[in-house]
Amino acid sequence: MAEVILKNLTKRWGDFIGVDDQSLSIADREFLVLLGPSGCGKTTTMRMIAGLEEPTSGEIWIGDRKVNDDLPKDRDVAMVFQNYGLYPHMTIFDNIAYPLKVRGTPKSEIAPRVEKAAAQVELSQFLDRKPKALSGGQRQRVALARAIVRTPKVFLMDEPLSNLDAKLRVTMRAELKHLSRELKITTVYVTHDQIEAMTLADRVAVMKNGVIQQLGTPDEIYNDPANLFVAGFIGSPAMNLINGSIQNGHFVTTGGTRLVPVEAADRASVVLGVRADDMRVSEAGEGDIDVRIYAFENTGEATLLTVQWGKQRVIAKGDRHLRKDQDDVVSISLNHDHLYLFDPDSGNRIAG
Amino acid sequence: MSVAPMPDPEEFGRNPRQGLSGRQKKQIVRSVQVILILIATFIMLVPIAWIFLAAFKNHLDVYTLKIFFKPTLENFSLVFQEPYTLGEKLVNSTIVAFFTVLFAIPIATMAAYSFSRFRLVGETAMLVTILATQFVPAVVIILPFFVMFRDVGLLDTRLGLILVNLAIVMPFAIWMIKGFIDGIPLDTEEAAMVDGSSRAQVIRNIVLPMAAPGLLTAGIFCFIIAWNEFLFALILTNKDAVTLPIGLALFKAEEGDLWNLLSAAGIIIMVPMFVLALLIRKYFVQGMTMGAVR
Repeated sequence: MAEVILKNLTKRWGDFIGVDDQSLSIADREFLVLLGPSGCGKTTTMRMIAGLEEPTSGEIWIGDRKVNDDLPKDRDVAMVFQNYGLYPHMTIFDNIAYPLKVRGTPKSEIAPRVEKAAAQVELSQFLDRKPKALSGGQRQRVALARAIVRTPKVFLMDEPLSNLDAKLRVTMRAELKHLSRELKITTVYVTHDQIEAMTLADRVAVMKNGVIQQLGTPDEIYNDPANLFVAGFIGSPAMNLINGSIQNGHFVTTGGTRLVPVEAADRASVVLGVRADDMRVSEAGEGDIDVRIYAFENTGEATLLTVQWGKQRVIAKGDRHLRKDQDDVVSISLNHDHLYLFDPDSGNRIAG
Repeated sequence: MSVAPMPDPEEFGRNPRQGLSGRQKKQIVRSVQVILILIATFIMLVPIAWIFLAAFKNHLDVYTLKIFFKPTLENFSLVFQEPYTLGEKLVNSTIVAFFTVLFAIPIATMAAYSFSRFRLVGETAMLVTILATQFVPAVVIILPFFVMFRDVGLLDTRLGLILVNLAIVMPFAIWMIKGFIDGIPLDTEEAAMVDGSSRAQVIRNIVLPMAAPGLLTAGIFCFIIAWNEFLFALILTNKDAVTLPIGLALFKAEEGDLWNLLSAAGIIIMVPMFVLALLIRKYFVQGMTMGAVR
């Protein structure tokens, strides 16, 4: 059990900056998710914590120990890899037992602990098999069991679910969440999947180009995005970002439509963010603005309307019983309480 | 709704002016292929078959092309007696090939692992240089070897031959084993390191077992190369350390080549290779494909 502290951590390969002077403090027993698109530095950050990558500069602390110069084996962490990293020549039992054996755990202790870990991930009947004989989901469970068979200071998970099919991913996600609440061990979890981040995390660090864009609870990053990147990255469908200006306390689209009142000073260019959930769809003439439907999609649980709004397209979520057709005209109203304003140049959120 | 019959795909593109359909053409090509393969097989197998027959013929029958003759084992007993004493050569060959492999594989494995996993200064240059040593014709360097071995007293010793064979097989072994180690996912090694292994433990517990089929394959190739090596053994030995391939030269007599004895000795050289290949063919294939499919 330990907290993890990164101080001004930087990783460079020649001119390429992987992680740029980041500091981060992960509390004891916290489940922190590093979220971002590929190449944003999230995996590099995790690999530096594990000791598989050497930082160019900066410090890594696990508990009250600076671990920069420690080998991976001396850092007392356990890691789950995207490709599982199982030992194909060993049985499942030996795979799970390996961290214990190599650390010199007495033989009598090994078997019960392996069996307990295997039971926790529902693998008990497979202990005699080789990894080759297991399905993808079972292999991932083996990797998980191998991590939880010891009680390490920190769990590191590098996109552990991304090689699984969609359905299995949902099941495993729930199992992971259950397990993490049970074990209460500091966890760093890397993913590019915002649903995983939202559902698993105590706190999420959204990364881009080696820099943490926002660090906060899932609620905060969803409801209070710090900048355009976070706003556009979190949420499915992505937040609508509409270009325009503020004139006389109203947001006006680039096409000149006066749309909604906003509490911000007038400015020539601004981006208005609004989630599909925060738009109400009604019959033409009944809402704020009439728009033509570009595409109508029924997902079963809801309907998604992509509408042509001047030169831009915007996605609104409609009632699941709504039935419209391409080129129909509907009216859209924005929820005035959930509008976000951003500076288009810096990308930063404008208070308002 | 009626369904029109699907046109035969072979018939479909057929040019009416041509006499042959696509299927007929395919058959002709297939027949030509089979004939060519049979010819090639025949050319390769005839000398071996001839040797097998000659080894069991007496010295009168050996120049005839008789397929039916009274077989004799006399040749095999003769080659082990004075003045040929093939037994000594057999011992020499076995010792030289065995120790060549025994030293080559561990050293090559360490080199291959380093090349595969670490970023070394001048890595590409070193790898290419190692390979380039293979392109030097043996004849060119054999004289310096002779002089050098004479001065340090390695001439006509098994140790000398082992050293030479090591130099011959090492580049090959390094490249081959590197291919196998490249095929082991890095994730697996990293997992072992995070799980608490030192680099040495990673190599012992993970890399070696996973590369075992490859090491076995490389070892067998090295054994075959050392077993068959002729030129260096010819120049660097004369009495004590003579190996089997050189032993064959003993069967040149005043009355001409003793083909029946030569054939018997040839079989003694070949049989261990056949047996080896049969015993390990499972690993052989596994090893070959493991290197091929990354």
